[in-house]
Amino acid sequence: MALLSVQHLSKAFGGLLAVSEVSFEIAPGEILGLIGPNGAGKTTVFNLLSGLLPPTRGAVVFDGHDITGVPTFRRSRLGIGRTFQIVRPFDGMSVLENVMAPILARERHPDQARRQALEVLGRVGLTGEAEADPKNLTLARRKRLEVARALATRPKLLLLDEVLAGLNPVEVQEALPLIRRLRDEGITIFIIEHIMAALMSVSDRVLVMDQGVLIAAGSPAEVTANPRVIEAYLGEEATGA
Amino acid sequence: MSDLFLQVTVSGLLIGGVYALLSIGLTMIFGVVRIINFAHGELMMLAMYLTFWLHTAHGVDPYLSLLVVAPAMFAIGVAIQRLVVQPILEAPALMKVFATVGLYIALQNLALMLFTADFRTIQTPYASASFRIGAISVSEPRLYAFLCAIVMIVALWAFLKFTLVGKALRAVAENRTVSALMGIRVSRLYLLAFGVGSAITGVAGTLLLPFSYVFPTIGSIYTLVAFVVVVLGGMGNMLGAFFGGLFIGLVESFSGTYVSPAIKEAAYFVIFILVLLVRPQGLFGMGKGSEEIGLK
Amino acid sequence: MTRKLAVPLAGLAALAALPLVVTQSYLLHLVILILFYVALTAAWNILTFSGKVSFGHSAFFGLGAYASTILLVKGGVIPWIGLLAGIAMALIGALTMTVPLLRLRGPMFTLATIAYGEVLRRVAIIWRDLTAGSEGLTIPFDPGFLNMCFTSKAAYYYIFLAFAAVAVGISHWLYHSAIGFHLRATASDEEAAQALGIDTNRVQVVALMWSAGITGALGVFYAQYVYMIDPDLVFSGTLFAIQPALNGIIGGLGTVWGPVLGAVLMTPLGEFLRSYLGHVRQGLNFFIYGMALIVVVMVLPGGIISALAPLRSRLRGAGPRSPGKDVA
Repeated sequence: MALLSVQHLSKAFGGLLAVSEVSFEIAPGEILGLIGPNGAGKTTVFNLLSGLLPPTRGAVVFDGHDITGVPTFRRSRLGIGRTFQIVRPFDGMSVLENVMAPILARERHPDQARRQALEVLGRVGLTGEAEADPKNLTLARRKRLEVARALATRPKLLLLDEVLAGLNPVEVQEALPLIRRLRDEGITIFIIEHIMAALMSVSDRVLVMDQGVLIAAGSPAEVTANPRVIEAYLGEEATGA
Repeated sequence: MSDLFLQVTVSGLLIGGVYALLSIGLTMIFGVVRIINFAHGELMMLAMYLTFWLHTAHGVDPYLSLLVVAPAMFAIGVAIQRLVVQPILEAPALMKVFATVGLYIALQNLALMLFTADFRTIQTPYASASFRIGAISVSEPRLYAFLCAIVMIVALWAFLKFTLVGKALRAVAENRTVSALMGIRVSRLYLLAFGVGSAITGVAGTLLLPFSYVFPTIGSIYTLVAFVVVVLGGMGNMLGAFFGGLFIGLVESFSGTYVSPAIKEAAYFVIFILVLLVRPQGLFGMGKGSEEIGLK
Repeated sequence: MTRKLAVPLAGLAALAALPLVVTQSYLLHLVILILFYVALTAAWNILTFSGKVSFGHSAFFGLGAYASTILLVKGGVIPWIGLLAGIAMALIGALTMTVPLLRLRGPMFTLATIAYGEVLRRVAIIWRDLTAGSEGLTIPFDPGFLNMCFTSKAAYYYIFLAFAAVAVGISHWLYHSAIGFHLRATASDEEAAQALGIDTNRVQVVALMWSAGITGALGVFYAQYVYMIDPDLVFSGTLFAIQPALNGIIGGLGTVWGPVLGAVLMTPLGEFLRSYLGHVRQGLNFFIYGMALIVVVMVLPGGIISALAPLRSRLRGAGPRSPGKDVA
């Protein structure tokens, strides 16, 4: 049974149809990629899935529950985790405290919360920076913090919104194994990325959007060969960022 | 329709014109500079004291004194923008608000120091005169206030729509980043917007004085009225501010007559809270800038 | 844990001994006033943990003051019971009026809270049957512990000292609890907090309830201290809504000790300005006050506590230096 099922999802802003009749499924344990030129509606889809925007039409079914009207924080507790394109660490809180915050939503004992937070930091490789102020971290490490926070909510499905954006090629290569490791630990991953090579190398399947519409779906090889996809990207390199 | 009903409606509309002017002044400033100015009513208060002084010390008729008050208030507005707002433009919205709170405390007490807490008003020959139209009695100073307000509003509208500077102001209100990229001197336009907005607000004060009082704390109530109108009409929406002003004038008139004078102010506060809860985008939909201050 | 408590306990002990040394009535009154504002500011500040700033806390203050006083004057209910009524009224007020406003952000929320305070003030004036309108209500002078009425100022001093300790203590406890984490996250980035499973609405309501409840309780004590209340006094925006906000802003928003610092600095300053400059020209003291506020915003947007940066993390207890130890 699909972990996530999206049916005829649409979002209109005034007269502009940002997302139109998008339907797809995500199987448990897969890494699904989402690509498309700028303005295709990818982040809007994420916002619809995490509940930050109400859909104009359509339904979202997660783990057997219809979550179409469910508020964001409840979706998180049901198991949908999400990172943001522009990282948003909490002000005035250390790296460790940032990760403790979501844990404290389900864990009453602060010592337990602290232990679990350190554990999560270990999984993303940030143990050394536990006491640091997020403002002083490099972008790559702040992105890891973003992932760590989402992991702290024990997600079944993790939405990664351009988590590689802004990283240099070395940092990108360091990040990919982390994503694979998360899947191996049992987390289903839905990832938006502009860095084609990286996305194609890590995804099992890829969806392609253009101007709010889903124009292709398939394996990375199928999608990169698809003429509609190439046309949508006309003028942009099909293999680079 | 009963005569009383018509009378109350007319009175409401007349005062509504002044409220509209006051609120359009706020919209002008907010729409361009994007600051919630808790000291907005103090601009009106300052103009009223200035008008009072010109009349009492120099015998200048209030409508004539507009020629002095308007430029003076323009200058004060520019000064406030340059000295208080500009240095803190990059601060979080809430901190800017606190600075305006400091400003309102300072201005109120400045007035207290200069004029004492006594209620002041001016006596003009036409202060208690009125026309009769059928069974309706129309007070002269209120009618003049309304007419002047309409004239100013139309003049402002024309200025914004047809002049180059007016269009630049609208551009900055629309999108300050793009405007700057297009070569518009945004900081200069902030000065202009604050100046014009203050001048308009000051004029509203002058128009009000012949049939009202001024005292140091009168500003606070008008700040709130202006915000009620602006939220009602749709933050950043000039037309909305106009109709909102008329509406609040009517609310005040009707609640004051049919319920009790004491309840007038409570009436529009309650409306304010209701609008914020039920339809925060206002009756006419929001203009620019509403997202930045928290009305989504 | 004991090490962290040592300093505040020592401070409390010193403060408890104060009335033995300070016996002059006016000075004692001044200290009581400082403690009062420390408590009021700390209570107000709790809401700011969530990022919301209210200029309408006078609503809760007045509700508390009137609830207990009406019960006392009309029903003979002793103020200690009236205290519970005062807290209850403040909570009801917060629940019905302010909670719906929480969906507003930033300055619009602040503006709306002002409106609420003003409405209540006018209602208190108009509803003469209940409140005796502008004439106000007088609390009979009948000394005795049960009546919460004392001949010596020292007794009031201890009451307000205890109250200030409780208010700051609750503030500190909340800040370091799970709710505190969630409030700070909400204040920092509401959407990100929601996406991480934090019920941002609920935590804001919790903060508001604590803030309003303590403020209402303080209203009760205040009424018992001044013996006479009327709408313009206890629903005064200037005294009980703006003043704690100013103290908090100048001291440093969103921290536990910033507002305390602000209250300790601003209260005597305000009194000093009032007695020395108020005679020179009425209004001069507040004029300077207003200008000072503008200057503080320009120069120290983080409040005075941000200038004490090296001390700051120690006072706050949270932050990179000692994680976990303070999470209560």
